[in-house]
Parts: sequence; structure tokens; C-alpha cells
Amino acid sequence: MSGTAVSKEPVPRRRLSINQLILTIVLFAGSFIMIIPFLWMLITSFDWAARLNITFPPKIWPEEPSIRTFEVAFTNIKMFLYIGNSTLVSAGVILISSLSALLSGYALSKLRFKGANIVLLLALSTMMIPFEMTMIPQYLLFSELGLVDNYLAFYLPAMNYAFGTFLAKAFFDQLPSSLREAAVLDGAKEFTVFSRVYLPLCTPIIATMVILLFLGVWNDMLWPLLILKSASKYTIQIGLAMFTYNNGINQQPSIIMAATTASLIPVIAVYLFLQRYIIESIALSGIKQ
Amino acid sequence: MSSTPEGKGSAVHGGLPKRKFRFTRNDWMGYLFSAPLIIGVLVFAIYPMFAALFMSFHQTSGLNLTGTWVGLNNYKYALGDTIFWQALSNTFLMGLWSVVLGIAFSFILASLINNLKWNLGRNFFKAVYFLPNVVSGVATTLLFSFLFFPSKEGLINFVIGLFGIEPIGWFTNPQVAPYSIVLMSLWGALGYNTIIFLAGLQSVPRDLYEAAEVDGAGTYRKWLYITIPYLRPIFVFMLIMGTIGGMKRFTDVWLIGGTAGNPGGSLMTVVLYIYRNAFLASQMGLATAVSYLLFLIILILTVCLMLLNRRKDSLD
Repeated sequence: MSGTAVSKEPVPRRRLSINQLILTIVLFAGSFIMIIPFLWMLITSFDWAARLNITFPPKIWPEEPSIRTFEVAFTNIKMFLYIGNSTLVSAGVILISSLSALLSGYALSKLRFKGANIVLLLALSTMMIPFEMTMIPQYLLFSELGLVDNYLAFYLPAMNYAFGTFLAKAFFDQLPSSLREAAVLDGAKEFTVFSRVYLPLCTPIIATMVILLFLGVWNDMLWPLLILKSASKYTIQIGLAMFTYNNGINQQPSIIMAATTASLIPVIAVYLFLQRYIIESIALSGIKQ
Repeated sequence: MSSTPEGKGSAVHGGLPKRKFRFTRNDWMGYLFSAPLIIGVLVFAIYPMFAALFMSFHQTSGLNLTGTWVGLNNYKYALGDTIFWQALSNTFLMGLWSVVLGIAFSFILASLINNLKWNLGRNFFKAVYFLPNVVSGVATTLLFSFLFFPSKEGLINFVIGLFGIEPIGWFTNPQVAPYSIVLMSLWGALGYNTIIFLAGLQSVPRDLYEAAEVDGAGTYRKWLYITIPYLRPIFVFMLIMGTIGGMKRFTDVWLIGGTAGNPGGSLMTVVLYIYRNAFLASQMGLATAVSYLLFLIILILTVCLMLLNRRKDSLD
């Protein structure tokens, strides 16, 4: 009866719990190793004693706790400017890429125009081309156009977001076409159908694209390295990289760690709030590819 | 289901041969909506691809696109350049270890997390292990340049010093530097692979396990004979993505070793070789030739890995 059902359950559970405990401990130990670099970065970044060289032995608390390291970092490396620039670049790329992807995804899924399959195939096959192969002609193109050191060099290529088109098309395919047919019968213009009827339903896929694009653009270094010449235009990655590149790596530990900490704050803040969505988006992008 | 949408549909799909090349309003709309994508793909993917091929047959000086035709000389030069071969072998070495260790560790980690019954803990561990993945290559490299500090002050050297091991020149000893890069990229990429594997693990049908349990299979054998074979497509996907990523290594080695690939050229990679020739030596022709070689290598590796998967499939 009910008594047997209750007594049956705890037996396997108790047997498993030792394994589960070991498992949990192993995973905790592993996660500790994973976050040691961050902890060490934070400790060093607040340690005025480590401004010229690493202190020995390693501390679990700064030798001379101070935020002066951050003051020095922010005066030597124009962090506010770079973070602002990165925000500008990311926002533009996110806007252009996701709009391009949504518009083309909508057209490919719902309009089914002549040649739609060719367009999709062409776009998807270009995803195979490594950026490293096209970067030199792209750089020369922008230098011919006089757009080196100009954020248009980020915004214009953002139109080519084939993976986003693929994601958006797959998403629109799941939405019923009858919505469009009904709206068209009511005399709605095509763009109105797109923006008023379908776009409000697209928040999940927009969120995915924004997350993937933000992480990609915010952390990118190679293209900014080629395009950005003047220090006032630097994005955060290139600003940080150029500072260490020019001063030599392994110099001024606490200053560099303070700057690195500051550069990570936006990404980690976004991660803390959207952690679940970010992980889902990455998993989705991995599986879809 | 009225006749109107159907009639419209046949016109749209060009069902009537006479109308094949007549664009309806719908077709124009389609191209208008796709215009940003089409322009983007043509100008920033297709054109540069052909321009790179064109340039690779030319000797360029300075930043002009037109140079003198030299045929295959750029390719010949690269294939005869010891630095190119060094770059290629370094790239392979680091790529191979990163991929193999990355997949092994993340698969074990994903299996461990998946077996955890504690839901909150599962999400917590996912989040923690994934965290390094949102950190940029620049920040990762800076972090590890101090963790791997060459003298006894570095954290890692301090820890191994507790076991009586002499300080290692992680990023300064040419023999060690490539492996330090592997360790660093392992930290950065572990979470990504783990998330993909976890998604895969959750997709394994339960009844397969139940059937195996009936046959008396334990946890380990279920893992070996059901989970691993079932996830083979994901393993292949990881191999392909990891290989492609590994072949493109640039940011970390550039920041640590500069354009010379120091220490002692041990961190010279193919992309670094391309970058150095294009933007320091203004040898755009040579650089594009090498970028085509890189593309070919990636393509061949990708095709080989895909074939490997197919052959195994047919054997089973």
C-alpha cells in the first residue's frame, strides 16, 4: 500500500547520495579552479603594492588595498572613452546585423520570392569563408573608400549576418503564414506586416541574436586592430591590447589587472543578468550550426 | 483554404513557364527585404574572396590593389619559407592539443554535471564553468600572462613550487609556450563545449538507458556504449569547430609574443604570419596567398573529419 511506496523510494536515493556528494564536491573543486584567475585578478587589481611587480608570496587579500590602481589605470588607459567606443560599435553592429537578418529571414520564410533558395544558399555558403581570408581585401576596400579609422568599417560589413538570417528564417518558419495573409487581405503594407504583426513575436530570436552579436563584437580584436588607427577611436579590447603591447606584457600588474577588471564589468554584468539566456543562445547556435 | 492564396502561390513559384522571368510585386518585395543581406554578402564576402584570389597572384607593394602578375610565385615563396612551415606546425600542435583536451575534459565535465540530481547546483555549475567564455581573448591573455608569470612570483609557479618544482617559463620558454597557450585556451573554451555536450546529453532518449538497465548495464557501461555513440555527431561538430578555431589562432599569441611569435618563434601561427606580411611588410600578395592556403587546409580538414564520421556510421 502507500507504506511500501514510501519506504521503497528512499533506498535508491540514499545509495545515490554518496555518489552525488562526491560529484558535487568534485564539481565545486573544478569551479574553484575556474574562478581562481578572476579572484586573483580582483586581488591584484586592488593591490597598490603590485603596481610595479607581482607581490610574493601570492596573497589572498591585497597587501596595500587601494583603489588608486584603478585611478592610475583610468588615467593611463582612457577606459571610459574605450568603453564608450565599444558600446557605440556594438550597438551599431547589433542594430544593423539583427535588422538585416530579420528582414531577410522574413523575406526568405514568408515571401518565398523567386530565387529565395539561391539567396539563402549563397548566404549560408559564405559562412564557410574564414574572415582571415577576406580581411585583407576588406581592409583595402575600406582604405580605398577612405573609411579606415571610421566606425562605418564595422557597420557596413554588419549587413552580412548570414547566420542571423538562418536563425531568423528558421524562427519565421515556425510562425503561421496565415497572419500575413490575413493582414494583406486587410490591405496592410508588407513592411507593416513585418513590423507590426511578426516583429512583436520575434523577441526570443532577437534576444539570441543580440546576445551572440554583443559577445562577438565586444570581444573582437583582429578587425579593430586593422581598422582603428587613432587612439581616440579604440574599442576597449584594442585599447587594452595596445597599452600592454606598447608597455610590454607582464608590466605593472595591478594597473593592467585593474583595467582588465574594468573591461570585464560590462560583459560580466550582462552575463549575471542574462546568464540563462546566454547559455541557451550559445547552445542553440552550436546545435544549429 | 480559399482559391485566392492558391492562385497567388502558383504565380509566385513560377508554376507557369511563361511567367518564369516575370517578377511579381511579391518578388520585388522579397529582394527589397533581402537587400541588406545580399549587398552585405556580395560586398563583404564574395567580392573579398575573389579579390584575395586575384591578389594572391600578384606582387604588391604598398597599399594598392593592382600589382605585377607573378603567377604562383607567392604560393611558391610561402611553401619554401621555413617560417611559414614553422607557423603551420605550431598552429597544428596547439590546435590538436586544444581540440583533443578540450573535447575530453568538457565531455567528462558535461557528463558529471548531467548526472547531478541537484537542479540548482546543475545550473550553478553550468554558469560558473561557462563564465570564462564571455571573457575576451585580450582579457584572458592578460590574466594568464600574470598567472603564468615566469619567475617564482607567478601564481602557478608558486603553487608548483610548493611541490618542489622549479619555476617554469610558461610564456618565455619556447619548449613550454605552446602548451601554456593550450592550457589557457582550455580554460576559455571549456564552458562552451560543456554547454553543447549538455544539450546533447539531454537529448539521448531515456528508453535506451532503460533498455540497457534491463540488460544489467551499469553507469559506466551505459556511458560508454550508449551516450558516447549517440553523441558522435556532436563530437564531430566539436572536432570541426575546434579545428577551425585552432587554425585561426591570433589574438593570444600576438599579445604574448608580438609579430615575431616569441619566444623563439614558438608562437608563430599562420594568421600571425598573414598579419605580419600584410600589415608590417606590405606583402599583400604573399599574405593573401597564405590566407588561401589556410582556407584550403581548413576545408580539407573539415571534409576529412566529416568523412571520418560517415565511414564510422556505415560500419556500425
